[in-house]
Amino acid sequence: MQFLRSLLIVLLLLAPLPALAYDILLLQSLREKGYDEAVKGVKRECPATMRTVVLSDYAETDITRIIREEHPRLIIAVGDRALEVAGKQRNAPVLYMMALHAKSNQRVVATGVGMLFEPARYLAVFDSLGSKRVGVVCDPAKSGAYLKRAQATAKRSGIDLVVREVHSPKETLAMLDSLRGKVDALWMLPDATAVSPETTEAYFLFSQGERVPLVSFAEVYLSMGGAVALGIDRFDIGRQLGAMAQSVLEGTPVEAIAFQAPRRVMMKVNDGVLRRLKISIAGGG
Amino acid sequence: MTGGLRVSRIVKNFRFRIYLIFTVTIALLTAAFASFYVITEVNGFQSTLEREGRLLATILAQNARLPLFAENREALALLAAGTARYPSVLYVSISNAEGRALTELKNPTEKRGGAIDMEVEVTSPGLVASPEALLLGHAPVDEKRVIGRVHLRLDTSGARERLKKLVAATIAIGTLFWIMVSLLSYQILKRVTSSFNLLMRGIEDIGSGNLSARVNLDSDDELGRGANAINAMAASLELRELENLSLQEELLMSMRLEVQEEKKRVMARLIHTNKMTSLGLLLSSMAHEINNPNASIRFSGHIIAKMWADVVPLLDGVWREEGEFYLGGIPFQKARGALAENAAKIVENSERIARVVQGLRDYGVGGGARLRPDLELNGAVAAALSVLACQMQQDVWLKTALGTDIPVITGNQHQIEQVLINLILNAMQSLPEGRGEVLLTTRHDREAGEVVVEVEDDGIGISAETMERLFEPFFSTKLDRGGSGLGLYISQYIVAEHGGRLQLSSTPGRGTLARVILPVGPGAP
Repeated sequence: MQFLRSLLIVLLLLAPLPALAYDILLLQSLREKGYDEAVKGVKRECPATMRTVVLSDYAETDITRIIREEHPRLIIAVGDRALEVAGKQRNAPVLYMMALHAKSNQRVVATGVGMLFEPARYLAVFDSLGSKRVGVVCDPAKSGAYLKRAQATAKRSGIDLVVREVHSPKETLAMLDSLRGKVDALWMLPDATAVSPETTEAYFLFSQGERVPLVSFAEVYLSMGGAVALGIDRFDIGRQLGAMAQSVLEGTPVEAIAFQAPRRVMMKVNDGVLRRLKISIAGGG
Repeated sequence: MTGGLRVSRIVKNFRFRIYLIFTVTIALLTAAFASFYVITEVNGFQSTLEREGRLLATILAQNARLPLFAENREALALLAAGTARYPSVLYVSISNAEGRALTELKNPTEKRGGAIDMEVEVTSPGLVASPEALLLGHAPVDEKRVIGRVHLRLDTSGARERLKKLVAATIAIGTLFWIMVSLLSYQILKRVTSSFNLLMRGIEDIGSGNLSARVNLDSDDELGRGANAINAMAASLELRELENLSLQEELLMSMRLEVQEEKKRVMARLIHTNKMTSLGLLLSSMAHEINNPNASIRFSGHIIAKMWADVVPLLDGVWREEGEFYLGGIPFQKARGALAENAAKIVENSERIARVVQGLRDYGVGGGARLRPDLELNGAVAAALSVLACQMQQDVWLKTALGTDIPVITGNQHQIEQVLINLILNAMQSLPEGRGEVLLTTRHDREAGEVVVEVEDDGIGISAETMERLFEPFFSTKLDRGGSGLGLYISQYIVAEHGGRLQLSSTPGRGTLARVILPVGPGAP
């Protein structure tokens, strides 16, 4: 009996203990490199205790039960799905990042870091390129708000945004055609309707045909003929959000924290394209 | 020579056969190469056409991607028209993913002939990520979506014409090649087979028996070496032939000599046999001629003895009365005994003459094959010696050592005597210069149940070669001295007939021992 009792004690000691209380529940949509980079940024900036749940690892996640049982002080949602799941509960404030459709989740108190730079960043590039008429093709349903902000900023900058609205990818070509001769730069927005895999090529053909520089949002387009790309730094986005989380954990209410655009711009230039277009960027390469 | 024979000879000609094989092989190879070339070219044309068509269709599909996605018919029509300008393009059609043709163009100058259809899918570009994926850093997915199809029909009549020309040119070149190579091979064969023909002619000459013929081929190749070998073989054969002829002549000569020798020997034997027969007849005749007067002499002796016996008492009375008187110049008292003695001698010698004559007669005529169960060996020895008494020479010392306890045997006395006479004569004749010793011995071998007669001499002996042939009929070393070559042969036969054996052992230069072994008769102790 003595032996059995000792054995029972040892087994109890060795058994996995219930999860200890933590500050942040980190919900991640997928195990993707981009998400992982951002999460690393968060952890770098915010040393609070975290539990990470990757949603793609589970068929279904009862976030409400987790929060009720584990009482995290803050939820960080990484990705649209994570934000959607976090939005199903109302007990913990939510910070999000890497979510392209964040605007539709307004059920809980939530703020975060977006994926698009402020329009001023792009307009500054166009300004440096010397472009005054900038063509934009976008779907108002997806990029309408951003476009409005851009138009407002452009007006202040003295840049004329020539906008063509599309509601289907098939319309992109015709809209691009309609911009021929009317613009001296093209702004490629991360709009899934306007920039579909089938029509991506058309932007660069337009750029080549019209000899106007194309400014895009991802470095990969430089290899296809883009002139300038303003890329995001996901690690820095994570750090931005980490700072927000730290602030929340220190007592700042989420409502008091404003939505932020990515702060760090990774600007890349295709010198060959610029050279062919005989364009130089004012104030440096 | 008839035409058929000429053709048959040509067909069997080595040069013609090789040439035929060469030309047929070259023709087959040329045909095979030409066919291979044409097939390869045809396949090449086909694949080139297909490649060209696929390339055109791919370019069109590439160019039509954006207009097709946007369903821009005007742009698609322009692209189709641009493609249709290619002379080989008969039909162009661009349809969307659902299969609905957005533009279609037929070449009005469609030619009659073959055509191939080419269809290429128009796909969305792969590895182009959506903006959202790019922003989120998702890995691009190589997913090509079919958004339409490009269909081209290409005219192949030009290729067909080209193919016809190619086949015609190939056949012409192949035929020319075949003719040239055939002519060349004929010349080469002619040159090569000339040596062969020379070799064959030489072989045929040699084969027909003319071994002095040679193959006049002066080259150091296989044929040359073969010719040299055949020449060497012919020379060797010629030498062998000459040797054979010489040997045959020698053989014939020796055979002729041998036949002559044999003939001489046979004749000598015949003469000897004839002499023996004559001798027998002479002996028989002599016996008859001697016996008659001898009987008269013996009778006269008896009469004289009887008459003297009657006369002696009378003459004794006269002597007593008248004193001594002479008979035939001899005093009566001397003549009285001498006359009786001489009369007895007359009878005795006459009987002796009769016995000798009887013996000679028996020897010459033969005493028949009668076997006596009580033949005394020593008696037969004495009879033989009596026959040979007259043959005895002064320098031959004949010694006898006759056993005393010799049992009788079953046999023919005359034949046994003949055996002994032969053996004694042989022994006497072997003595050098007729001088020497002959020992005649008889004895009884009780253990073996045999009686033995041995005739031993110290003569010249018998050589080993002669010993091997000693019992052959008509073999004799004394043919020139009257030998018949039958003595030992007959002697062995007689002894064998008596169930005995005749053994001869000799040491050349030291003498010979002849031993007659005969079984003891059943009635003997």
